[in-house]
Amino acid sequence: MSSEGRKVMIVPCSGIGKPYGTVSREAAYEVTEDLRPRSTQLVALSLLVLGDEEARAAVEAHPTVTIDGCKLACAAKMVHESGGPTAQGFAVLDVYRRHRGFKPVGIAELNEGGQQLAHALAEEITVAVDELISQDEARHHA
Amino acid sequence: MPDLPQRKVGIVACSGEELAEGTVTRLAALRVLEHVRPAETVTICLPLFLAGGAGDRAFARFYPTIAVDGCDKRCAARATELYSGKPAASVIVSDLVIEHGLGRPEGARRLNASGQQAVGVTADHIVGLVDQLLGGKWSRRTGSFIEPAATAPAADASQAACACASPIPVQKVDVDGRAVPLAGLPLIFEQFQGAGKAPGAEVTKELLEIVRIYNDVPVGTDEEYTAALAREYAAFYRRKGAPR
Repeated sequence: MSSEGRKVMIVPCSGIGKPYGTVSREAAYEVTEDLRPRSTQLVALSLLVLGDEEARAAVEAHPTVTIDGCKLACAAKMVHESGGPTAQGFAVLDVYRRHRGFKPVGIAELNEGGQQLAHALAEEITVAVDELISQDEARHHA
Repeated sequence: MPDLPQRKVGIVACSGEELAEGTVTRLAALRVLEHVRPAETVTICLPLFLAGGAGDRAFARFYPTIAVDGCDKRCAARATELYSGKPAASVIVSDLVIEHGLGRPEGARRLNASGQQAVGVTADHIVGLVDQLLGGKWSRRTGSFIEPAATAPAADASQAACACASPIPVQKVDVDGRAVPLAGLPLIFEQFQGAGKAPGAEVTKELLEIVRIYNDVPVGTDEEYTAALAREYAAFYRRKGAPR
């Protein structure tokens, strides 16, 4: 695990019109609440849209992982606009292509396939988070 | 001034993922969009005002829009006004919770019972606003009611309408040597042609006034925009012909 204070920001898309947006959000919750609660922090996209200083400072100061539900890639674009380089970007559609059996249905509430897809995505994000924390620690100790 | 087809109300939820109230905004908006007023409402993801194109940014000028926010930061209302157009109405979940004496919503990922109650109260409030907006004559130019008036029913829809995949149609027009994207222009042309308005100076003047509602026409450029609209509408009218 990470040293105290080292964090990766997780920015999911705030998609409301398609199941893939819900998958991105569910994966973000799974990472920040269940899998890596101490080393990650969720940043709401709406705050970045409005230019909230605290949210901008968070993505500028920490490695940031974006999760996008569609090709419009709002999360990645907004982090870029906010001055925070995206350390790693995930697209739900790419993950779905690797897990065709997990077809997401439902927006307000995901079906089982959607939950499984979110879990698969969350595990991929966790690997990326651990790598980013390790790199950050290595730089700190160098 | 004629309204463009498919009169609907836009709903923009903050969707703030870090707060339970943000989840309430999203679920309440979805309840209205999917179940209660599916044919009369449409939504767009808030970040598209920045990450999207001209068609996305025209959203709140095209549709009278209700901004639904979780907290008094009012990200949805403020960002909508900043990047698209002044919302016709604004809803703040934390205010509704107090007003209705509900318990505090908790659990951004899985709402507690108070959060679920807040979803119902917020959805009901949005529905009231949708009906109010559809029942009045809304000026997209000023963001306010002109006068109460009956309007034609909106088209049928079988599921939530998301504008992410189908933003307001945009047409690029050569204005004095520059390719300028004009939101809503294809629909405006369709409506004018359908109403039998043949190209001419008066019609071009009317076109410019409507184009101005959805687009920024810089001061001092009316002449250039008029020339561009006259040319484009004449070409459009030639292709389509007079209505039968």
